[in-house]
Amino acid sequence: MGPPKKYKKERGAGDKFAKKRRAEDEAFTQLVEDNDSMDNASESDGVPGAASKNAETNDENINTDEYGAKDYRAQMQLRADHTNRPLWVAPNGHVFLESFSPVYKHAHDFLIAISEPVCRPEHIHEYKLTAYSLYAAVSVGLQTHDIVEYLKRLSKTSIPEGILEFIRLCTLSYGKVKLVLKHNKYFIESPHPEVLQKLLKDPVIQKCRLIRSEAEGEAFIQGTLDGKAITQFGTKLPTATDKPAEETPTTSTAAAAPGTDGAAAAVPDDITDFYEKIDKEEEDEDEANLKTVSFEVAQEKIELIQKRCIEIEHPLLAEYDFRNDTVNQDINIDLKPAAVLRPYQEKSLRKMFGNGRARSGVIVLPCGAGKSLVGVTACCTVRKRALVLCNSGVSVEQWKQQFKMWSTADDSMICRFTSEAKDKPMGCGILVTTYSMITHTQKRSWEAEQTMRWLQEQEWGIMVLDEVHTIPAKMFRRVLTIVQSHCKLGLTATLLREDDKIADLNFLIGPKLYEANWLELQKKGYIARVQCAEVWCPMSPEFYREYLTTKTSKKMLLYVMNPSKFRSCQFLIKYHEQRGDKTIVFSDNVFALKHYAIKMNKPFIYGPTSQNERIQILQNFKFNAKVNTIFVSKVADTSFDLPEANVLIQISSHGGSRRQEAQRLGRILRAKKGAIAEEYNAFFYTLVSQDTMEMSYSRKRQRFLVNQGYSYKVITHLKGMDTSTELMYNTQEEQGQLLQLVLSASDLDCEDERVPGEPGYRPGGSGTTKRTGALSSMSGGDDAIYYEHRRKNTGSVHPLFKKFRG
Amino acid sequence: MVNVMKGVLVECDPAMKQFLLHLDEKLAFGRKFIIQDLDESHLFISTDIVEVLQARVDELMDRISFPLHEKDA
Repeated sequence: MGPPKKYKKERGAGDKFAKKRRAEDEAFTQLVEDNDSMDNASESDGVPGAASKNAETNDENINTDEYGAKDYRAQMQLRADHTNRPLWVAPNGHVFLESFSPVYKHAHDFLIAISEPVCRPEHIHEYKLTAYSLYAAVSVGLQTHDIVEYLKRLSKTSIPEGILEFIRLCTLSYGKVKLVLKHNKYFIESPHPEVLQKLLKDPVIQKCRLIRSEAEGEAFIQGTLDGKAITQFGTKLPTATDKPAEETPTTSTAAAAPGTDGAAAAVPDDITDFYEKIDKEEEDEDEANLKTVSFEVAQEKIELIQKRCIEIEHPLLAEYDFRNDTVNQDINIDLKPAAVLRPYQEKSLRKMFGNGRARSGVIVLPCGAGKSLVGVTACCTVRKRALVLCNSGVSVEQWKQQFKMWSTADDSMICRFTSEAKDKPMGCGILVTTYSMITHTQKRSWEAEQTMRWLQEQEWGIMVLDEVHTIPAKMFRRVLTIVQSHCKLGLTATLLREDDKIADLNFLIGPKLYEANWLELQKKGYIARVQCAEVWCPMSPEFYREYLTTKTSKKMLLYVMNPSKFRSCQFLIKYHEQRGDKTIVFSDNVFALKHYAIKMNKPFIYGPTSQNERIQILQNFKFNAKVNTIFVSKVADTSFDLPEANVLIQISSHGGSRRQEAQRLGRILRAKKGAIAEEYNAFFYTLVSQDTMEMSYSRKRQRFLVNQGYSYKVITHLKGMDTSTELMYNTQEEQGQLLQLVLSASDLDCEDERVPGEPGYRPGGSGTTKRTGALSSMSGGDDAIYYEHRRKNTGSVHPLFKKFRG
Repeated sequence: MVNVMKGVLVECDPAMKQFLLHLDEKLAFGRKFIIQDLDESHLFISTDIVEVLQARVDELMDRISFPLHEKDA
């Protein structure tokens, strides 16, 4: 009875998926529907049991004082030379690092490797040890005893026993076995023969083993991991080839030392010594020929093996020995000599190609820090057929451009596969497409069908997943079943989702290989220095009155259209136009967008704006000195590249989405000319109507950036705004008229704009197409997304934070 | 007959005044509590309601302020 039932179930799921597909095209709305339809059983597939372990609960019975501070004295002993050591490790897995310590640099690199950054403001950084982060640490080559030992040396106190146990638990079984594709055969490889013995005792795995000759018998294939590995990224100047590898760590130590002069002397030797040792080991691993043992497995049983290994807590790390792959043809692309990698880009790639093979994983870099160059370089390094997946048609075009800009690839090698542009795929080396194109379940055109078939038949060398945080795990699994790829590289700026499903990506793609520190990049001038400000606009009494009495959907329109907000916006635009800045104004609400833009006589772009008009407006914005301000809806959140813009004003936004806030900030993060400046060179304003729900949303949105070390300035009063006579809505009558306008607006106007997904977009609908997601959000259903994140008990608020105004 | 009522003078910004008026109109506390609407930013309200009113305003403030310090919330 089993099989037919299963079939039915699968079909059911497929249909559901088809219906949902349109919604999933969209970056910001997908969070809602994931929750209800997720089949729990399938959700935990592919995630090992240890991943659910959590150190957070280790300290449940610790005393806390009235401010929520925890008393750990019983578990931790302060060491005599604690002033020289930069770390505290709390029993609940949180690690605190003093960023002003002379050994900060050492500790920082180490912590990035083994833990997740939680919050990184200027002086004290908070990290957290998680099962995932430790998994990532092991997979880039750190050993359990190294982690424990180094943590001990860095810590001001003794390390709590629970944490040591946690680290051992999470790291011992991970990273020991690798699945390697070599000479077109799959091998399970490990430096530890005993682990392989254990695996082979498992009946399932035993069956998958491929024994070619009788003589081979039960013995393992002895092998050496031959090194000589330091991968060169692209064609670089000969002097620059090998150096950076060794230079990065040494210069950093050197730089840290003279900077602090006498203080450096106080650094306990064991810290620096050990750091160097670890560093060397990392390098050595490539040079020294590591003894490994391996056995071959049958290709068709790969998936089975992977699953089984996860079940017995030995997840396989997939590595791709791309240099020894002779079946898949090399494609002929290289980096152009002009393409120079920044240090952090190189570092992130080094993690990926650390031992001369390609690891799968995720690289996290802020928007504007050159994610696409990392992607392009990775493709050029592997030099096999590459598949690039991104979110929208616009980014497909941008990826193509990036490839042409940084590498020697030309039009004939790059194939786009979207609903609008279908290049001939045969014989091309790089295919750029969107997630929704691949996972499309409805009928396709004949042409697309052909391309899909071709795509499925290929063995891809590398798969680059852009904006990987946006895709739901379910959709991602679909992609994986369709596409055969040897290694996967995820790129993202914000590895976070409101539903916290992000963790699963670790096991679906691979561990997080690298995460950049925003503030550091900013200090070095790689990204713009941004002043973030929240401008409080008092609600006019009339508007507030209506706000209190009307229903939810209108409320939103009322606080967006608040006349004093309009005036603040106008004031800021005027101010920055006088300075010669280029300003983008964001509004999620189309009604407000149009009204603001038309009133102020500025160009605007939103969903229904035609492609031609968009390009025209953007060109004007770039080159025409008279067009310094444009209004855009959320279509511009991710896909628009506007390097000129340096001021961003946000008048309405999508609830409390942290990701949207970060993505928008990304629009102005591209380093500005004359970048290394002490002064701020970019401005990010959020206009907030006082005493409304917007205040709360605004706070929620800021959490992510605050954790990256950004600080928001609250502006309660814009200087000079009262005296300025040119501003509109000066008089009571005008404000009254505006209120009437708002009140007479239809329900549809109250809605946020829905960005149409690429393929399923019906032009006839022109922005009025509705779907269930939209309706629920109109009736306040949006709240449900954030609901689970609301705090359960309001009782424990620190007295200082209780009220923000007395 | 002279009616004597004890009251409190409340000074607030215009928007907050609207909130108070709203509460008054909706009979949120079961009765009217505003004795006199003085001007844009001043109200005269009955004394006995002050405590409940304060709690209510606190509640409003709590609702629209999201605690930043609790990251894992």
